[in-house]
Amino acid sequence: MQYCHLFMENSEIWKSVLAQMQLHISKANFATWFQNTEIISKEDEKMIISVPNAFSKEWLKNKYYKLILKTIHDTDNSVKELEFVIKPQSLKNFNAVKEVKVLEEIEKIDAGQLKFDEFKINKETNLNPRYTFENFVVGSFNELAYAAGLAVSENVGNTYNPLFIYGGVGLGKTHLIQAIGNKVSDNPKKKKVRYISSEKFVSSIVSGIRNHNIDIFKASLSSIDLLIIDDIQFLAGKDKTQEEFFHTFNSLYEKNKQIILSSDKPPNAIPELEERLRSRFEGGMIVDVSLPDYETRLAILKTKLQEKNISLPDDVLEYVASNVKKNIRELEGALNSLLICYKTNNAVPDLETTKKLLKNFVFSPFNVANYKKIIEIVAKFYNLEEKNLFNPTRRKEIVRPRQIAMFLLREELKYSFPAIARKFGGKDHTTVIYAHKKIFQESQENNKLTEELNVIKQRVYSG
Amino acid sequence: MKIEVLKENLKANISIIERIVGKNLSLPILNNVLMVIEDSFLSLVSTDLEIAIKVWMLVKIIDKGKIVVPAKFLSSFISSLPNEKIVMESVGQNLHIQCGNLKTQIQGNNPEDFPIIPEFKDLEYLLVDSKKICQGISQVIDLTSQSQSRPEISGIYFSFLKNQIKIVATDSFRLGEKTIHMDENVKKEHSFILPQKAAREIMNILENKELPVKIYFSQNQALFELPMKEVDHPQAQITSRLIEGEYPNYQDIIPSQFKTHVTVKRDEFLNHIKTASLFSGKVNEVKISVNKEKQEVQIFAKSQDVGENTSSLSAKIEGESIEASFNYKYILDGILNIKSSEILFDISKEDGPCILRPVGDSSYLYVVMPIKSI
Repeated sequence: MQYCHLFMENSEIWKSVLAQMQLHISKANFATWFQNTEIISKEDEKMIISVPNAFSKEWLKNKYYKLILKTIHDTDNSVKELEFVIKPQSLKNFNAVKEVKVLEEIEKIDAGQLKFDEFKINKETNLNPRYTFENFVVGSFNELAYAAGLAVSENVGNTYNPLFIYGGVGLGKTHLIQAIGNKVSDNPKKKKVRYISSEKFVSSIVSGIRNHNIDIFKASLSSIDLLIIDDIQFLAGKDKTQEEFFHTFNSLYEKNKQIILSSDKPPNAIPELEERLRSRFEGGMIVDVSLPDYETRLAILKTKLQEKNISLPDDVLEYVASNVKKNIRELEGALNSLLICYKTNNAVPDLETTKKLLKNFVFSPFNVANYKKIIEIVAKFYNLEEKNLFNPTRRKEIVRPRQIAMFLLREELKYSFPAIARKFGGKDHTTVIYAHKKIFQESQENNKLTEELNVIKQRVYSG
Repeated sequence: MKIEVLKENLKANISIIERIVGKNLSLPILNNVLMVIEDSFLSLVSTDLEIAIKVWMLVKIIDKGKIVVPAKFLSSFISSLPNEKIVMESVGQNLHIQCGNLKTQIQGNNPEDFPIIPEFKDLEYLLVDSKKICQGISQVIDLTSQSQSRPEISGIYFSFLKNQIKIVATDSFRLGEKTIHMDENVKKEHSFILPQKAAREIMNILENKELPVKIYFSQNQALFELPMKEVDHPQAQITSRLIEGEYPNYQDIIPSQFKTHVTVKRDEFLNHIKTASLFSGKVNEVKISVNKEKQEVQIFAKSQDVGENTSSLSAKIEGESIEASFNYKYILDGILNIKSSEILFDISKEDGPCILRPVGDSSYLYVVMPIKSI
C-alpha cells in the first residue's frame, strides 16, 4: 500500500486535491484560483505547487493551505509542508479569434507601412508570421500539399513524417511550410518549432566545425518538436553537412518529431544526395506543388488585392491571370506594377494600360520555350551532355531522354515530325512519330514519367 | 468599523481605485472595494487580479474593522452627497452611511472573499522622482502594440542600468525611448515589461505629484509606491503583474548613420502635417520631401476622394535631398511627444527608419518607419 502511494503520479495527487476542493468552494472561486495550478515536484517533505500568478499564490497560501495539505497528506503521508511558486502563463491565446481580426484590420490600414525588420521574424522559431494557412490559396495544383500540411500541423510527428514538398520556384513552398510552422507554434500545447534554410544549416555546421562547438548546434536541434528545412536541394554535394543532417534527422525521427523539407525537385532527382538520405526522404510523404491553373491564378490575384484593400476591374485581372503564368511570385510582381501605376496616376488601370504595363511579363524572353532550351534542360535533367542526345547510339540511357526531347519539341513547340527528325541528325520522321507515341502512351500509364515531364516543363517555362 | 471622513477626500480616493474595477462576471467580488482600518488610516483596495491599487487616507476612527462594498456604486453615491462630513459604519456585511440628514444602507459582501493582495517584503527598491516617471511614461504609453499576438511589445519596457532608467514602447512601426537620469547608480541591472493598463494607472496617480516614488520589483510583479506628504506612510500603491518574455533587442533598430539631418520648428511642422493629414486618404500617407538646395521641407498628400495638398516650410538641412512617405498619425504621435520648440528629424535612408528628437534634449527619441516608397 505504502509503495503504491509513493509511486502515485504528482498529477494524480493534484487531481484528487482538486476534486476535494471543488466540494468546498464555489464554482467561480474554484475556476479563478485553481486554474492552471499543478504539482511541480516533491522535495523531501515539501510539495511544490505552481500557480499562475501572485494572487493565486496568496489566496491558496492563506485560505486553503490546511485543506490542500490535508488532502495530499491523506494520499501521501510523507508530505508535511507546501510551497507555492509562480509560473506565469503565456497570454498568447487570450481572445485569439478577436485578435486575429484586430490584426487583420491593422494590416489592412497599414498596407505598405514598413515595420522594423528585426520585429517581423520570430526569434525563437525563425518563422515569419505573415505566412499562414488563411492566406494560402488552394487550387488543384497544390491541394494535396495543402491537405498534407494541414494534417501534419494538426497531428505533429504522427501523420506524414517526414513531409517532403517539392515544386518550382515561386509556387508557394515556403509559404506552405512556414504556415505549418506558424500553426504549430501557435498551438497552446507549446511545441517547439524551428525553421532553418539550407544555407543557414550549412553555415551553422561549418562554423560549428571551425569553432569546435558543433555539439552546441546539435543540442539546439535535438530538443525541438518540428524541424523545417527549406530548399534542401542545396545540401547536394555537401557531404559533411549531409552526414550531420543524417544524424539530426535520425535522432528526431526516432523520437517521433516532425520533419518538413522542401526542395525544387523530388528526392530521387536531387543529384549528389547520399542514398541513405534519399531513402529517408522518401519514407514519409512526398507531395508536389505545380503551376497554378488559370482559375487559381485569378483567385490568388483577388486574395492579394483583398489584403491590400484595393480593387481592380475584372477584365484587367483576367488579363493578368491568363498571361502571367510562370509562377506566383511573377504574378505578384505583375500585380505590384499595376498597383504602382494606380497609385501614381490615381486612376484605375484599364485593359489597355495593363497590356502596356505588363509587356515585360507577358513577352519576357524567358517565358517562351525554344528548341535550345528544351534540349538543354532535358540533357541537364538526365545528367547528359547536350551532344549525347544527338549521338546515333541506341544505349538505353540516351534513347529515352532523346525520345522525351522529341516528344516535348512536338508537344510544346508544335514542330513537325520531319523537322524534329532533321534536328536529330537526319533520322527518319517515323522514328520521331514512334518516339512521340511511345512517350505519350507511357505518360498516360506511368506516373513517374508524367512527373518527370512536368518537372522538365516547369523548368523550361520558368527559365 | 466606524469612521468619520470628509466627502471630498473620500471621493478623490475612490476615484483612484475604481478605475480598474470592471464588470467581472466570473468573480463578482472583484467589482467591490475593500475598506480596512489600518492604524490610523482608512485603506481602500481594488483589484482585477492583474493590477491592484491600494490607497490610504487619514480619517477619524471610532471603531476598527473592514467591509467590502460595490466600488462603482459607492463612488456614484458619494459623488451625489453634499460636501460635508460623512459617517460610515459597518453593520454585519452592510455599510451604513450618514451625511447631514441623509441615511443610507449599502449591501456588502464578506470581506474574507476579497482577494489577498500580494505583498512585497524585504525587497530592494529604487527611488525616482514621480514627475520624471510620469512624464516618461506619458511620452511612450500610446506607442505600445494593441495586439496580444506579441505580448512582450504590448507593454512598456523599463530598464534600469547604472544611473539611467530607460522607458521604451513600440508597436513595431514606431518606437519611443525616454531616458531618465537618477542621482544614484542602481546596484544591480534590472528590467521588466509593465502592462500598458498598469502604466496608465501609475501615470494617473503620479500626475501633478512631486514626491519620490519607490519602485519595487520581483520576478513576476512590480510595485509603485507613492508616499504621503504629511506622514511617513505610503499614500498609494499599485501592484501589477509583469509581462513574461524578452523585450526585443530594440537598440538594434535605432539607426546610427543618416543620409539627411533636418531641423524644423515644431509647431510649424505639426501644423503642416495636420493640414496634409486631411488629404491623406485611406492609407494615411503623407510624403515628406527634403530639398537641400532650397533648404526647405515639402509636405504632400493626395487622396482620390478629396484632392491634394502641397505645403512647404523652411528648415535647416544637412546631407542629401531625400523623399519619404509616412503614416501621418505616426509622425504626429512623435511630434506631440516632443515639447521643445525645434525638432531634429533624421532620415537614415529611403525605406529606412527615421528619428524624431527634441533639439537640446537627448533624453527622448522617437523612431518611425516610413511607408514603402514607389
